[in-house]
Amino acid sequence: METLGFLMDGFGVALQPHNLMFALIGAFLGTLIGALPGLGPANGVAILIPLAFTLGLAPETAMIMLTSVYAGAMYGGRISSILLNIPGDEPAMMTCLDGYPMAQQGKASEALAISAVASFIGSLIATIGLILLAPLLADFALTFGPAEYFALFLLAFATLGGITGKNPMKTVVAAAIGLMIATVGIDSTGVQRFTFGTLELYEGVDFIIAIVGLFAISELLFFIEEKAGGGKEKMAVNKLSLKWKDIREILPTSFRGGVLGFIAGVLPGAGASLGSFISYTLEKRVLGKKGYFGKGDPRGVAAPEAGNNGASSGALVPMLTLGVPGSGTTAVLLALLISLNITPGPLMFTQNADVVWGVIAALLIGNFLLLILNIPMVGIFVKLLSVPPMYLLPIVTMIAFVGIYSISNTTFDLYFMVAFGVAGYIFRKLEIPLVPIILGLLLGPEMEKNLRHAMDISDGDWTILWDSGLAIGLWLFAGLGLILPYIVGPILRRRMRVTTGTGGPEGD
Amino acid sequence: MVSNDRIFGILMIVLAVAYGWGTTQFTEPFGGSEAVGPETFPRLLAVVLGLSSLYMVVRPDPDNAWPWSRTGVELIVAVVVLILYAMFLQPLGFIISTTLAVGTLCWRMGSRPIKAYIIGAISGVVVYLVFNFALDLALPLGVLSFMEVS
Repeated sequence: METLGFLMDGFGVALQPHNLMFALIGAFLGTLIGALPGLGPANGVAILIPLAFTLGLAPETAMIMLTSVYAGAMYGGRISSILLNIPGDEPAMMTCLDGYPMAQQGKASEALAISAVASFIGSLIATIGLILLAPLLADFALTFGPAEYFALFLLAFATLGGITGKNPMKTVVAAAIGLMIATVGIDSTGVQRFTFGTLELYEGVDFIIAIVGLFAISELLFFIEEKAGGGKEKMAVNKLSLKWKDIREILPTSFRGGVLGFIAGVLPGAGASLGSFISYTLEKRVLGKKGYFGKGDPRGVAAPEAGNNGASSGALVPMLTLGVPGSGTTAVLLALLISLNITPGPLMFTQNADVVWGVIAALLIGNFLLLILNIPMVGIFVKLLSVPPMYLLPIVTMIAFVGIYSISNTTFDLYFMVAFGVAGYIFRKLEIPLVPIILGLLLGPEMEKNLRHAMDISDGDWTILWDSGLAIGLWLFAGLGLILPYIVGPILRRRMRVTTGTGGPEGD
Repeated sequence: MVSNDRIFGILMIVLAVAYGWGTTQFTEPFGGSEAVGPETFPRLLAVVLGLSSLYMVVRPDPDNAWPWSRTGVELIVAVVVLILYAMFLQPLGFIISTTLAVGTLCWRMGSRPIKAYIIGAISGVVVYLVFNFALDLALPLGVLSFMEVS
């Protein structure tokens, strides 16, 4: 029951008035970010990081705010799925299937309310799962040596594309590029690497600049190319008439979805999209004839929402316990931790217990906040949804500029950000995923450090990297992570495409 | 057409070779060399990038179309606007440069010009006020610095 004590301490942190306030702000901004087209969760969190810095927030406050943003973004993604039939992010794709038909039948606000309840249940289950699982995994991770960590990082890269990923080789290319960028600067032995004598590069490339450039600026360029500035027509929202019976009907579905989502979130290589996909298909199979899936069945709205929120909380498990994120958004959260000088991984549970448990408690509180925010205030979000991207994206870009500028007050960083944005556009055109690049930037220094430690221990013998059973296991899984997409990827992808009929935007 | 991946792959191989060659130029770390020096990890990366890029050259994916013609010009305009925004942020000050940059971007994305620049100006003033007074962070005023109240 040690965990319970820590959790109580966590509540002590999270319930402090200013932390509660930032959790509320985060939850609100997050829902907004999730709902607005062209502002995915990873993108939104990335833009807010520099602002959290310049506000001089305490580490736990900054983390609490951005985790609330993360949780909120998952809630928000459903709004545009239901009202516009456009998923706000990839995991929300499945919500379109039954959500949009419901809206067409004049039951938009019921769909929104049901999905909010399902999201709540999904997150709640997954957060409880996180509380139970994370300390165990952290204890286990304490037995990892440098060689195991090195293998674990490889595993993280290998599975990042997910088993639905298109071309694993492009993930490798992207990871190598990210790691290469991470080697720029003065290394731990004081040697300058690839600085070309430029003073600004001595400390290396600031990954926050890279993240904001790659996500925010490239998104702007994409919108310009697609001429999608006008926005879409929005659906009228009726007055809510939700009965207790309606909620009771979706409860079993939501529980199943939450559990499945959590599992998908914890496992490397699955992620929120797969979480919502699995829970939708399972629900369809379980209820089969009794439901009218695809034609506006409330359970078809509840299942993917519970699944994707469950997965997004589940994805925090590897990020917090091992320091290895499994998705784009958790990678961005990792960036925040690193820049707050907190080393993620098992030691964080002992050294920064207040941060970890504060964040976990904040997730629980944030869930309640989100439920309260989402049911009565959905009208406000719907109004904001009608802001056309042609005004929204330039303003987002401006906020990205302000954020980056306020970190160091130099324009050099701004040029750098624009350069990353152009590069990000080209990468996305070539279908080279951006998340491995960012993960490479983040994990590069740690990866090299672990390699060095391992080699120092073995006195230059490379076989130490696959000397223990655990390390071999990790290598095997990493190998599978690269090979499986070639085998099962096409099948899964085809099935997802058949069910949804569309592709979705990148990132989860 | 499958040339995008090929060209990119070749460029990345060139990068890998250049990067790998760069590792031979490092100065010897203080205290002599160890089992893993500053060059070991980068050399591994150069090999990985080289091989994976080679795969892209050999087995390229089908191309996505590049936006030539007018859309391409719009994209270049947007990038130029962003670069100019960065360049003039300090000399012109935050409010004026934001009005121009956000306004131009909104206009190019399809808004009517007058409305676009009004949005730009409003967002610039609001963000400036929020940052300066609520968050206590100074953004440059530039040519408007005569308006400064201390």
